[in-house]
Amino acid sequence: MSSDKKKMTRGELGLQVIIFGLGFFYAIVYYVAVPGIVDLQAVSDQLLAYITAVLTAAFAIGVINLTRVHYFNIKRKRATWRYSIILLVSLFSMLVFSVIASPFALDPNAAVIPAGVIQFSTPIWDFLYYKVLVNINSSIFSLLAFFIASAAYRAFRARSLESTILLVAGLLVVLGQAPIADLIWPGFSIIRDWIMAFPNTAGQRGILIGAALGIVVFSVRRMIRYPW
Amino acid sequence: MRNGVLATSLKSDPRLVYVILLLVITVPLLTHSAVAVPISPTTLALYQFIQNLPANSLVVESFDYATSVVPELHPQAIVVTQQLFLRPLKVLFVALDPNGPPLADAVLDTVNKGNKTYGVDYANLGFIPNSATLIGMPLSISEFLPLDTHNNPTASLPIIKEFPAIKLASLVITFDDDSSAAYSYVQYWEGRYNIPVAVGATATVAPGLMPLYSSGQLVGLLFSIRAAAEYEELLSQQYHCCLGISGASASMVALSASHLLIVAMVVFANAAYFIGRRTSRRNK
Repeated sequence: MSSDKKKMTRGELGLQVIIFGLGFFYAIVYYVAVPGIVDLQAVSDQLLAYITAVLTAAFAIGVINLTRVHYFNIKRKRATWRYSIILLVSLFSMLVFSVIASPFALDPNAAVIPAGVIQFSTPIWDFLYYKVLVNINSSIFSLLAFFIASAAYRAFRARSLESTILLVAGLLVVLGQAPIADLIWPGFSIIRDWIMAFPNTAGQRGILIGAALGIVVFSVRRMIRYPW
Repeated sequence: MRNGVLATSLKSDPRLVYVILLLVITVPLLTHSAVAVPISPTTLALYQFIQNLPANSLVVESFDYATSVVPELHPQAIVVTQQLFLRPLKVLFVALDPNGPPLADAVLDTVNKGNKTYGVDYANLGFIPNSATLIGMPLSISEFLPLDTHNNPTASLPIIKEFPAIKLASLVITFDDDSSAAYSYVQYWEGRYNIPVAVGATATVAPGLMPLYSSGQLVGLLFSIRAAAEYEELLSQQYHCCLGISGASASMVALSASHLLIVAMVVFANAAYFIGRRTSRRNK
């Protein structure tokens, strides 16, 4: 097994030391306090701020990359170049109006940007955000209901004991979630609450603990560069 | 036989399912049908917690959802905000999602604010951009969020002068579309400063937060748009107002009908499956 492990270059070794150091630091910071000398928690919090800065930079790179890809789509008249125009116009018009008139406006008090421009842009931003973006996103998310209905009809079959238990529990929760079901039999709500409070909580805790242990194992493997 | 033909046609062409579901949802919405909604214990827990808060307590509302779940979480935000404004409480609005600040403004435009004044009784502090800000706010609000969404210096707002740090808050409520905000608040604010946390979540996210609720780390948990309808009912019973304020009550018949349809289709599909299996066994 160890023969699969390639020899690290100097750069990889340096990166490995950084990964190990940061991982080890974050692992012990919750358990070790050094009062009076250094506030490890404050150092940890500061490092989190740097993570945000890196992620923000990654987001900016994403915008640059998106612009570059779609610019060349249009320039070379690739198959979907018309959609690229729509994408770029949507991206940059929303960007411009958000910078001028939104809760994130750079100059809401009109110190630099003329007040007339802000007044002109505000209803446009309101329309684009509240009437276009909210409704488009909500519509796309609501399509989930149709897929769930179709999938429930096609896939939920009582083929084995386990699938039958899952099916019955699922149907009882769905019924309990429907307010009208309580008019049929008030017990549906009680059963739903019981399933949520006990079997669901137990299962979710199992998943959480399992995932946490998995993260710990993966982190340790990554830190010591275990070969599998 | 007829059962088998219908089952096959439904399976081969999902559009029939889509049309039935569309009708089941739109007809109750268009006819403005209504149904009584029983109150869930997780909803009642949050309602009673807010009712029992002492006067002039600080409550933080965090808008942590994207525009895609507005139909499910916005009604929750409206009814909870309305309850906060009906009580003598101070409210700060923040957001861990960039979509949050405009959605908070939309909620503020919807609710009846009574005689509450911006800056004195409530303020919209906007987007919390990173974990460091979230971690620092319990110690100083104005240091980490120097401006509100109206570009006022937060240090000059009377509400911030009265409550300069989040650690003085009596409750934080997050409307969360993916449980990450709930875990952040539990980890950074509840865990370190014992600030009680409550969550308004979508129907798909809420079951995953039950371990936090069961362990007492959440003082309340709102399940989907149904919880908003339950909240409207509670506000109506106590204050004789607010029924229909969020639109949640009006959608309960459509919600019920769509749920019952899915149950009926699953039962029907299983019946067709077992009948088909028995028939094929007999023919062999």
